[in-house]
Amino acid sequence: MQEKQLTTGAVSPSGAAAVSPSAHADTTAKWFLISAIGYFFIVGIIAITIAAKFVWPELLGTVAPLSYGRLRPLHVNGMLFGWLLAADMGLTFYLVPRLCGVRIWSEKLGIATAALWNVIILGAVVSLLAGWNQGLEYAELPLALDIAVVAAWIMFGFNIFATIGTRRYAQMYVSLWYIMGTILWTAFVYLTGNFAVLAATGVNQANLNWMYVHNAVGLIFTPVGLALAYYFIPKSGNIPLFSHKLSMIGFWSLAFVYVWTGAHHMLHGPISQWLQTIAIVFSVMLLIPVWTVVYNFFATMKGQWQQLRENVPLKFLMSGVVFYLLTCFQGPMHSLRSVNAIVSKTDWIPGHAHMAVLGAFSFFAVAGCYYAIPRMFNRTLYSDALANWSYWLLMIGGLGFFVTLWLGGVWQGWQWNNPAIPFIDTVVALKPVWLVRFVSGILMFAGIVAFLYNVLATVTGAAGVEKPRAAAA
Amino acid sequence: MLSKTDASAAAFAVAAVVFFLIGGLLTTVVPPLVDKTWGKPFENSDPSKGPIGKLEPYTDLERKGRDIYVREGCWYCHTQQTRTLLADTKRSGWRGVDAPISTPDEFVYDSPHMFGTKRTGPDLSRVGGKYDAQWHKTHFRNPRDLVPGSIMPPFPWIAENPEEFDAMVAYLQKLGRAKDWRPDHDYEH
Ligand code: HEC
Repeated sequence: MQEKQLTTGAVSPSGAAAVSPSAHADTTAKWFLISAIGYFFIVGIIAITIAAKFVWPELLGTVAPLSYGRLRPLHVNGMLFGWLLAADMGLTFYLVPRLCGVRIWSEKLGIATAALWNVIILGAVVSLLAGWNQGLEYAELPLALDIAVVAAWIMFGFNIFATIGTRRYAQMYVSLWYIMGTILWTAFVYLTGNFAVLAATGVNQANLNWMYVHNAVGLIFTPVGLALAYYFIPKSGNIPLFSHKLSMIGFWSLAFVYVWTGAHHMLHGPISQWLQTIAIVFSVMLLIPVWTVVYNFFATMKGQWQQLRENVPLKFLMSGVVFYLLTCFQGPMHSLRSVNAIVSKTDWIPGHAHMAVLGAFSFFAVAGCYYAIPRMFNRTLYSDALANWSYWLLMIGGLGFFVTLWLGGVWQGWQWNNPAIPFIDTVVALKPVWLVRFVSGILMFAGIVAFLYNVLATVTGAAGVEKPRAAAA
Repeated sequence: MLSKTDASAAAFAVAAVVFFLIGGLLTTVVPPLVDKTWGKPFENSDPSKGPIGKLEPYTDLERKGRDIYVREGCWYCHTQQTRTLLADTKRSGWRGVDAPISTPDEFVYDSPHMFGTKRTGPDLSRVGGKYDAQWHKTHFRNPRDLVPGSIMPPFPWIAENPEEFDAMVAYLQKLGRAKDWRPDHDYEH
């Protein structure tokens, strides 16, 4: 099945399957996905709790482990590593063997990785609630858990690279590049953010910390998220990807540009001006990889948009693409000094961050789950209608969250820039915004519940959905 | 060159790491070598060059207070940087005197750094000497008793624990004092 000719035009995520679909046991993928979705639900409860604390600051106020300062890192780490990264890894275990036309290199190693990952997440819950916090954003976990993460990542990376090494097709589909990029870059980014950072202090440490924080999104969640989008958009729409060449431009510009931008987290702050300027220039250049990728997806959908009416995975995917475009337009704009002076440190920023992590990358992962889980279990999805509900709940809740925080954040920024307004007035002014955010959070959580229920009903076959699929691929 | 990476995983891996490392090294390893103020503690005795003073390392008590600040996640709601924005110098200021801008040499002993990303509460980079211990005690018990409308959580387990409370206050009083700028010392001790 060796494809000799390298293509540059339209491509499909796989040729004729070299291994029959039923040959994939997918045990690793199943473990990763089911636990990830479980954490999505549990951490969702924590998310609502901290949103409620902005409205009722004394809620659970006398219980130290449940105070805001302990729950917030649990929310962030839980969503990033418990839900999103685990879901991304699970879907990677699903799509890499299929793209390579072979079985996963070692299912046993994969299962051990999933088990270790769960140990890490449970350890994170205990240590963060206890207040064992390293004090660095995204790197809160104690050193022992950091080491376990490195071990898990090596196990994951080895398994994936070994699978790619045995592939049947010479030319690698775009998703494979993004996955390999993720594995390699994450290694450097994670080591910088969790180990090298400990040897530095002050501004030097902050610079390493922001390099990590920024690239955790830019070189971990972005590339693996795009790997999913590149696979699942053509797959779930049954359409070839518009251009292989364009995806190359997007990939290599991302590889080069992203890492330079960390210092934009400290604009106007105590860090060298020239470094701020470099970060700004590269932040603006980020528009190149983003726009090429988004153009490729839109061009793929040309003439196929009517599919969005019925196809829930595709709905999640294309909404995710739009959110990706918007987030990555906001990012470069925030990095301009004049805009930054207004929005930085305000509630705009969580609005922006949630659009990236929830609106774009979680939507890709949810779509992947809706597409892959029924195929892995050889069943049909329990309910398309419920899936559609989960889409609208997450969409409306998400938009309510993003939009109110943007508006509130700009308003807050304007007020802060007028020192005649006492700080506390700027707090009180935002209270309606935080109430809307809480309500939006409830809607999103309802969407998560619908998603969880649908998945569980599918995999357990609870409601008698054991019709085997006709064509699984 | 890059078309080779299309079909060879090894060529791909090398290229991906090289592309990344150019920016990676130039923005992390190089800056502290170029800008020496990142690692040299603040010291100035010449008033014509700005505020005078000297950055001292943390005492054991202050460090203990700092650990509590880290543990309780105060830094998710409070930043510690007076930025190069007029509004920041005014908001961190005191009795009509603008606070000096934060510079890298004031943070040399900070690990983990506490610059922060979100201001749910006010910036604390110059809060040292602003309030006395009694104020902080009442504030930790219930912030709304002092500042109606506040959404800062109560921290009774700090206020009621004399050891932790003293350490916490010692740390807060130290913040931003390397530069001797505060015109009025009436709230101290
Ligand atoms: C949920 C966010 C939040 C957390 C967590 C938080 N604060 Fe606050 N803090 C605020 C808000 C809002 C204000 C402004 C209203 C007020 O003074 O209570 C404030 C005010 C303050 C002030 C007064 C600043 C001034 O210039 O008037 C100090 C000091 C302070 N906080 C210290 C702390 C410490 C120490 C901790 C951790 C033990 C902490 N805060 C945790 C939100 C928070």
